[in-house]
Amino acid sequence: MTGNAESRPTALDRADSRVRHDAGMSGAVRGFIDRIRSGDLGSLPVVVGLVVICTVFQSLNPVFLSSRNLVDLLFDSSTVGVISLGIVSILIVGEIDLSVGSVSGLASAIIGVLWVNTGWPVGLAIVVALVAGCVIGLIYSALFNRLGMPSFVSTLAGLLAALGLQLYLLGATGSINLPYDSPLVDLGQNWIMPHLVAYALVLLAGIGIFITGSRRAAQRRAAGLTPPAIAGILARAAAFVVVVEFVVWYLNQDRGVPWMFGLFVGLVVGMDYALTRTKWGRSMLAVGGNREAARRAGINVRRIYQSAFALCATLAALGGVLSAARLASASQQAGTGDVNLNAIAAAVIGGTSLFGGRGSAYSALLGIVVIQAIASGLTLLDLSSSLRYMITGGVLAIAVIVDSLARRSRVSHGRA
Amino acid sequence: MTDATERMPPAGEIVLSLRKVCKQFGAVSALTDVDLDVHAGEVVALVGDNGAGKSTLVKVLAGVHTPTSGTVTFGGRQVTLNGPNDALSLGIATVFQDLALCENLDVVANIYLGEELGPFALDEVAMEVRTWQLLGELSARIPSVREPIASLSGGQRQTVAIARALLRDPKLIMLDEPTAALGVAQTAEVLNLIERVRDKGLGVIMISHNMEDVRAVADRIVVLRLGRNNGIFYPDSSNEELVSAITGASDNAVSRRHERRHVQRPNSGGGTS
Repeated sequence: MTGNAESRPTALDRADSRVRHDAGMSGAVRGFIDRIRSGDLGSLPVVVGLVVICTVFQSLNPVFLSSRNLVDLLFDSSTVGVISLGIVSILIVGEIDLSVGSVSGLASAIIGVLWVNTGWPVGLAIVVALVAGCVIGLIYSALFNRLGMPSFVSTLAGLLAALGLQLYLLGATGSINLPYDSPLVDLGQNWIMPHLVAYALVLLAGIGIFITGSRRAAQRRAAGLTPPAIAGILARAAAFVVVVEFVVWYLNQDRGVPWMFGLFVGLVVGMDYALTRTKWGRSMLAVGGNREAARRAGINVRRIYQSAFALCATLAALGGVLSAARLASASQQAGTGDVNLNAIAAAVIGGTSLFGGRGSAYSALLGIVVIQAIASGLTLLDLSSSLRYMITGGVLAIAVIVDSLARRSRVSHGRA
Repeated sequence: MTDATERMPPAGEIVLSLRKVCKQFGAVSALTDVDLDVHAGEVVALVGDNGAGKSTLVKVLAGVHTPTSGTVTFGGRQVTLNGPNDALSLGIATVFQDLALCENLDVVANIYLGEELGPFALDEVAMEVRTWQLLGELSARIPSVREPIASLSGGQRQTVAIARALLRDPKLIMLDEPTAALGVAQTAEVLNLIERVRDKGLGVIMISHNMEDVRAVADRIVVLRLGRNNGIFYPDSSNEELVSAITGASDNAVSRRHERRHVQRPNSGGGTS
């Protein structure tokens, strides 16, 4: 392969002799170290954090890494994970939504009232809940775009208003139980992928990674740009398949992979495509990076903010629907407590910057697993919620500190 | 004078001409009866003190402000610029002083910002190839187009901003303070770049406070003072003339006479051709 490359004229992107081009395995390692040193941490803190968390909790309580506990962890991750995915979208444009917890609680209240109390079909109730979330997001964006209200304040006000609406809807009873034999609760509590389906989906994903990677390599070669090495693509796809199939196998020792988690992962993959491969996603990152530059480039900045706020609140509502399904109830407690903070913390821990312009959909997935692992470990240790809050708060603080330090280092290494 | 023939308008046809353009902000006249011609393949430097109306003029041409009165003729047709997109679609590109680049995005993403190929499945390969071509046309030296803008030097960023302006194949490119905040070497690079853009046959309007840079690349120097034309000069005009036209420090019969002579020259040159 190298001989073939040398016989060609120099590729367009290899003309500058000042740049070291890392090739092969050692090059990949060197490039990785360079990136880390300059503060481009990517998902490294998450991986390190997960290893530490697993080691600590496993040594304190051997149940922690059991298949059974991990399956429960995936169920719990999916609900807040979906909310966190919305937070990723709003953080990318450099704004914040502090009301996602209340909006998710409001959505579960709408499900309870419309579906159980009023007798509407469950599908329609879900649609109404999602539309309610979307409308809330549109209100925030209108306040932000038209009145210049900082999202920090408008969503803090929205937090109270949505919570109030949730309590009003639930009324005196305060809690509505959802029917256990319904498909929604089934999804939230025990709907599991058949084992073979889970294996097949992972394999398909691996093949997909390889095919898109090699097609991209072929396009680049045809266009006279240096293609990534096929061997590297193959290695990455194979590693993905082996690792994830192992995880699936381990989960299958108990019940298996929850469909709800599958839904969450599907949303993450879709969001990742939208953020990295579409004009909309590019515009989101541009607005988060330099709003004025985006405006001058002809991007409709208001529309982008609008889409980010609406998407965030809609996903928060979807997370509320899923958590209602998970708990089989719509209660006054839904969406309160640490839901808000967990969703934001997950996005930040996963590597989405609070300062805008940087982030990926996968940070919601990685971050929520970390957050839920901590929550699950602390629950297994039978610690009181007072301690749980303090520890989770500490972890969030550390995540933000890592983000700030990495950002400073990126600036000094010219990577912004 | 001996150089009368050299003072003929450049060979290219007139790309842009402004006649009696006025712009008022309430009681303030930011521009009064401003005339300006730009030919293809010509660098026109727009100089003047702070508040002389340079930026207002650029904004009028970029479509940010609409002139109160006067005519703008572009490519032989009289045009009205009602918004930035009007200017862009006509072929007037602007490189703003603060460059307006997104530091978190790479060079390709910045050059194609708002113009991405394939809105629902970005064609990264085609965009990267075109980016290398554009940078190659400018003989620009950018190490990698897949690095975020933050890792580039000031001169390289200016290059990216100019390449971005060239993406739409403009006929006229306006550069607002392209060499401000640049080092000596980077300034030289940007000036080379401006010459290459001119040699591609584009009209160039360049705003600068730095007389040295202006003399280095400009074919004509248009001075604005308090929103009015205050003379047209050439790179070999003496510094004194230029400075007094800019500051109005010697606004007297001598300088006015000077000015008249310079203004008349291109017209007489055009008449003989």
